Amino acid sequence: MAEDHHGSSRHMSASQKELGDEDARVVRVGDAERTNERLEFAGNAVRTAKYSPLTFLPRNLFEQFHRLAYVYFLVIAVLNQLPQLAVFGRGASVMPLAFVLIVTAVKDAYEDWRRHRSDRAENSRLAAVLSPGAGGGEFAPTEWNRVRVGDVVRVASDESLPADMVLLATSDPTGVAYVQTLNLDGESNLKTRYAKQETLTTPPEQLAGAAVIRCERPNRNIYGFTANLELEGGESRRIPLGPSNIVLRGCELKNTAWAVGVVVYAGRETKAMLNNAGAPSKRSRLETQMNRETLFLSAILVALCSVVAALSGVWLRNHEHDLELAQFFHKKDYVSDDGNGNYNYYGIAAQIVFAFLMAVIVFQIMIPISLYISMELVRLGQAYFMIRDTNLYDASSDTRFQCRSLNINEDLGQVRCVFSDKTGTLTQNKMEFRCASIEGVDYSDIARQQPVGEGDRIWVPKKMPVSVDREIVELLRNGGETEQGRHAREFFLALATCNTIVPLILDGPDPKRKIIDYQGESPDEQALVSAAAAYGFVLVERTSGHIVIDVLGEKQRFDVLGLHEFDSDRKRMSVIIGCPDKTVKLFVKGADNSMFGVIDKTMNPDVVRATEKHLHAYSSLGLRTLVIGMRELSQEEFQEWQMAYEKASTALLGRGGLLRGVAANIERNLRLLGASGIEDKLQDGVPEAIEKLRQAGIKVWVLTGDKQETAISIGFSCKLLTREMTQIVINSNSRDSCRKSLDDAISMVNKLRSLSTDSQARVPLALVIDGNSLVYIFDTDHEDKLFEVAIACDVVLCCRVAPLQKAGIVDLIKKRTSDMTLAIGDGANDVSMIQMADVGIGISGQEGRQAVMASDFAMGQFRFLVPLLLVHGHWNYQRMGYMILYNFYRNATFVFVLFWYVLHTGFTLTTAITEWSSVLYSVIYTAVPTIVVAILDKDLGRRTLLKYPQLYGAGQREESYNLRLFIFFMIDSIWQSLAVFFIPYLAYRKSTIDSASLGDLWTLAVVILVNIHLAMDVIRWNWITHAAIWGSIVATLICVMVIDSIPILPGFWAIYKVMGTGLFWALLLAVIVVGMVPHFVAKAIREHFLPNDIQIAREMEKSQDSHDVTHPEVQMNTMARA
Amino acid sequence: MNGQAAGSSSGGSGDGGAAPRRNTRKPKYSKFTQQELPACKPILTPKWVISVFVLVGVIFVPIGLVSLMASRKVVEIVDRYDDACVPPNTTDKLAYIQNPTISKNCTRTLTVPKDMDAPIFVYYQLDNFYQNHRRYVKSRSDTQLRDASKANDTSTCDPESVANGTAIVPCGLIAWSTFNDTYGFVHNSKNLTVDKKDISWKSDREHKFGSDVFPKNFQKGPLIGGKTLDPNIPLSQQEDLIVWMRTAALPTFRKLYGRIHTDLKKGDSITVALENNYNTYSFSGKKKLVLSTSTWLGGKNDFLGLAYLTVGGLCFFLAFAFTLLYLIKPRKLGDNNYLSWNRNPAGR
Repeated sequence: MAEDHHGSSRHMSASQKELGDEDARVVRVGDAERTNERLEFAGNAVRTAKYSPLTFLPRNLFEQFHRLAYVYFLVIAVLNQLPQLAVFGRGASVMPLAFVLIVTAVKDAYEDWRRHRSDRAENSRLAAVLSPGAGGGEFAPTEWNRVRVGDVVRVASDESLPADMVLLATSDPTGVAYVQTLNLDGESNLKTRYAKQETLTTPPEQLAGAAVIRCERPNRNIYGFTANLELEGGESRRIPLGPSNIVLRGCELKNTAWAVGVVVYAGRETKAMLNNAGAPSKRSRLETQMNRETLFLSAILVALCSVVAALSGVWLRNHEHDLELAQFFHKKDYVSDDGNGNYNYYGIAAQIVFAFLMAVIVFQIMIPISLYISMELVRLGQAYFMIRDTNLYDASSDTRFQCRSLNINEDLGQVRCVFSDKTGTLTQNKMEFRCASIEGVDYSDIARQQPVGEGDRIWVPKKMPVSVDREIVELLRNGGETEQGRHAREFFLALATCNTIVPLILDGPDPKRKIIDYQGESPDEQALVSAAAAYGFVLVERTSGHIVIDVLGEKQRFDVLGLHEFDSDRKRMSVIIGCPDKTVKLFVKGADNSMFGVIDKTMNPDVVRATEKHLHAYSSLGLRTLVIGMRELSQEEFQEWQMAYEKASTALLGRGGLLRGVAANIERNLRLLGASGIEDKLQDGVPEAIEKLRQAGIKVWVLTGDKQETAISIGFSCKLLTREMTQIVINSNSRDSCRKSLDDAISMVNKLRSLSTDSQARVPLALVIDGNSLVYIFDTDHEDKLFEVAIACDVVLCCRVAPLQKAGIVDLIKKRTSDMTLAIGDGANDVSMIQMADVGIGISGQEGRQAVMASDFAMGQFRFLVPLLLVHGHWNYQRMGYMILYNFYRNATFVFVLFWYVLHTGFTLTTAITEWSSVLYSVIYTAVPTIVVAILDKDLGRRTLLKYPQLYGAGQREESYNLRLFIFFMIDSIWQSLAVFFIPYLAYRKSTIDSASLGDLWTLAVVILVNIHLAMDVIRWNWITHAAIWGSIVATLICVMVIDSIPILPGFWAIYKVMGTGLFWALLLAVIVVGMVPHFVAKAIREHFLPNDIQIAREMEKSQDSHDVTHPEVQMNTMARA
Repeated sequence: MNGQAAGSSSGGSGDGGAAPRRNTRKPKYSKFTQQELPACKPILTPKWVISVFVLVGVIFVPIGLVSLMASRKVVEIVDRYDDACVPPNTTDKLAYIQNPTISKNCTRTLTVPKDMDAPIFVYYQLDNFYQNHRRYVKSRSDTQLRDASKANDTSTCDPESVANGTAIVPCGLIAWSTFNDTYGFVHNSKNLTVDKKDISWKSDREHKFGSDVFPKNFQKGPLIGGKTLDPNIPLSQQEDLIVWMRTAALPTFRKLYGRIHTDLKKGDSITVALENNYNTYSFSGKKKLVLSTSTWLGGKNDFLGLAYLTVGGLCFFLAFAFTLLYLIKPRKLGDNNYLSWNRNPAGR
């Protein structure tokens, strides 16, 4: 966000679109009846709630069934309702789906209820609305939801604005109103808004019905507004209205006794509401990969079902002649009318199809239905811990970590490439005036700095620079009429006047001193005005017509004759000032490259050259530079300008362009006054954070709007660049030279690569590229070459890039590699990049909330990226990866047990395990432990993860979830199902065992086995984990007992009977041991003979713990190694 | 749900900036929210691995030995009689069994291989009889068995739900196909009484089969499946039916026929007078008569003992193998030289 020294570059885009008559909205001031005649404008009632009691059920179900898996389960439940396929009872078959649907619906309903409540509170607030027709100008309290477009509303100080309103009048005689936009964009400083002079004097009740506002249609741009006001009667003229004339819903009126405005946008059409759209939904990479494994599982499912169907066909064929008399088949139906038909038998072909479909129903949980809801719960838990983490709390801005997207927590553990904005992200965006070059003389010597003498000051700025340059102070005081002194004074006068800062006078503790709070949208301007004040040019008062400056103790009044606001095309702003001595002066300040184009270099070539040199020096120090110029205007020049300005500013079509033209016309042949250097301090801990990220194998790219020199010097100061790096600079002004330097870069990269095959002696490379070159590269399809160079470099610095180019660069990497990308930024210009990257992080800092609104996660400081990625990201990824694999394994084990049994039932899909147990299996018997473990388990402690950032590589290398692990888990699941099934089978062969007893044994065995499997993989056992795992085994036993206590179920009392036999317990023990041995052996071998980094770190942590007990002081010497 | 929170607070509904609150939003510290709950972090050290295997071995081998011994102690006489009881020159076995006029009486002689202590359990064993076939297991009505007033609850009993227009009690394929071979034993020319009391589960007799539910309209259909029940005895006392209706888990199964409370000596010969009624010829099933003593393990089955011995042995072997491995390739636990970036600084 560095390119806009005036913060107001956000006026771009939508407001530049000019207002055509046909799509204008016509608002009759004070006449809501006629305004709303055609019922086309929204009322002021807001409704953030999604559902009403009536629509809740259908809409919520509709939304939930967007998930394909749910449709699958619905189809299965429906299939089960067909009499031929009824495998489960009605209740049992619908229960799992109903369970997840209800849980989600309850969650949604609760959220919506809260929204309803806040909507109601919001809608029933009161606002003072001018009663139409009353004549007396009475403002009557009205509920917010009854306020309509066209109503005239009066707002008192500290009240919130009920809707977007055009200001008509304020308590201030010049029509100024101050608003705080904290709720809208997070900026806490006051912004000035103006009522037009024309409406200021007319009482509102007279305006009512007499004025018409035509404004653009509602849009999301909170920094743009185009409209005009037409006063009937008198000279029917159109008064232009702009963004400075509108106050928005959600803002609060401050420092202004009252303000009267007319509502132009209400309710959901207000800019605040239009900006409320949630962040775009992203999908985590793990979830995408999970879909691949789900497909494998579907294939296994189809294979199992086909095997069963085929074998059942073979069986029926082999027994074709037996079926009529075999007691267990009883093919003929003697009861039916003809007495000759078959009972429930439609020929082998049909039976095969039925067998297949029934197999799908029986084996349905191969696709884990509970996984989706488990993942949601786990992410909720992870988000809870991230938000509650005190290490992610920023005390300076009092912000917690925010999880705005709940879908990509685990992506935080796999990031390979970080794209960072500079200003406000790496730096604080708190500007401080550092040095100046006036008339070619450099005043940056630290040695001459002296503390600001407060002595006899009347005006004390709230945020004052701590020190001033002694020589300049001398020069200003005693320079008298020397050329140098005059220039210095004009320089500071320019700083004090050429801005949009509003001084607010506060009463200090000392009655003789007034404290001034400089309010403005641009931190740079605040710094400049404060600096001017420190040197004795104190801005004391500003209205739309004049400003008062205390010049070295003497109050002077300057008329503001014109102001050309900053725009990102001109990259400068200017004011035209009528001085007390009747001269008219034009002050201009702007970015150096735009200013040197309009400065008359012939006037003073030495000064220009010297200033350029100083500018270069400043930006090498990492300072943000501005160039100041001025021109005295002759009377003719001024009048010519004034005419053009008035014409342009009342134009309806192309006003913005016309104004720019007028500005460009006057901003020429300037005399160079000097340049300023403003320091933007690095945020705390940025160099350390970048170092950690680099150690973690994360590439950091910095994308900034700043100058190349500034960017490079910031790069050095935050340790992104180091002295031993070879810099490749691509900085071209034309297509051809750009291609050439790109080719050079490639050959250089290749040369260096071939030179240093020994990676030890590898020269680190840094690529520095500027926005212009990027434009050429993206235009001419040299993206591949750029990519080749970029990935060879350790660091990439892009300077002078526009917002869309930032997104383009992110896209470049996203498209060509599988690297996980993360973008972090704080300003509106980072929004596109944040939305483009896999993970978008907003810094809730100085520059408003647009970045936060677009982000997936938001936090207060750049350095939080380290604990966020290295600690939480690592945990999230590892937990989620394990949970998904475990869920697959767990359900597959159960399905395989069912499958082995089906092979012994004549392939008829009988289950020994009761249908309730098979339904409850993944919902109750085994669901809680995985969720608890996935929320609470930690493979490594925070300290270890931060001490060895390299451990982050586990996520980048996808060590917790990959196809190999999936296959291992599946093999394990087949083995365990074999153990569960065949040990009891072989023991009970040719015995009196009944199917209910055997089924209960299998149920318990499989539940205990999968829980022990989980227990074996748990790394940290706290009491919650213990309770969850052992508790769910106990819960299973209780459930089985309850089911077996129902006398009308065939399996009545089986569990009690079978638990009384020694064989049952002997088999249970055998199953568990035999089932676990391979997993245990594999784990022992892997952990001891093929340890990964995490395993080593775990052991280190363990020995550290025992060390800590005996030697409480932490030993730091191991740090040196890492 | 993302943007909504900002939306509703944008008007400052309650928590807005109207009254600046002094308290910060800093999350409260607690061991739980900071994920620092006291926890135990077990690590699979060699000591642990070896101890676990030794422990399992130490537990499993004795259990294996005990159960193998128990299984070996069981004396079992198994006699397949379905083929032998068909008159020698019958070609169509199905016709034989279906013909009610042919006498089904049959005599078998068994020799006791070892001393058998009372009680001796008499079982019948059926092979290839799919009592777990889906059609079969579903064809029953548990409500009807329990409650006299629910006699017409036969909707789940097809195709044996009604006969001649009225409901069958007990209905369904399972009840219909109750086993109906009978056995009588003569030992030393003395009749051995077979105790047929308490062969079923007590819980079934008391809670599952009603004492006021009597068989009705049973085996009246065109096809006779098996046993006919005495309509004057309530279901709760029809123990053969109750046993039969505990459907077997596997297609080869035994069911308790009765108990003999007489000790048998080695070499004794027993004459079995049996009625070969039950039709297993239609689906090539086998019928066997089993006399067996019992232990805590149940009947004769070496599998459990062998399995325990094998697993125990394997664990001892694994303990030994791991000891060797740990000695051959020792590794210092938690040595940071093993970390990948320290191990081979050259390779990235």
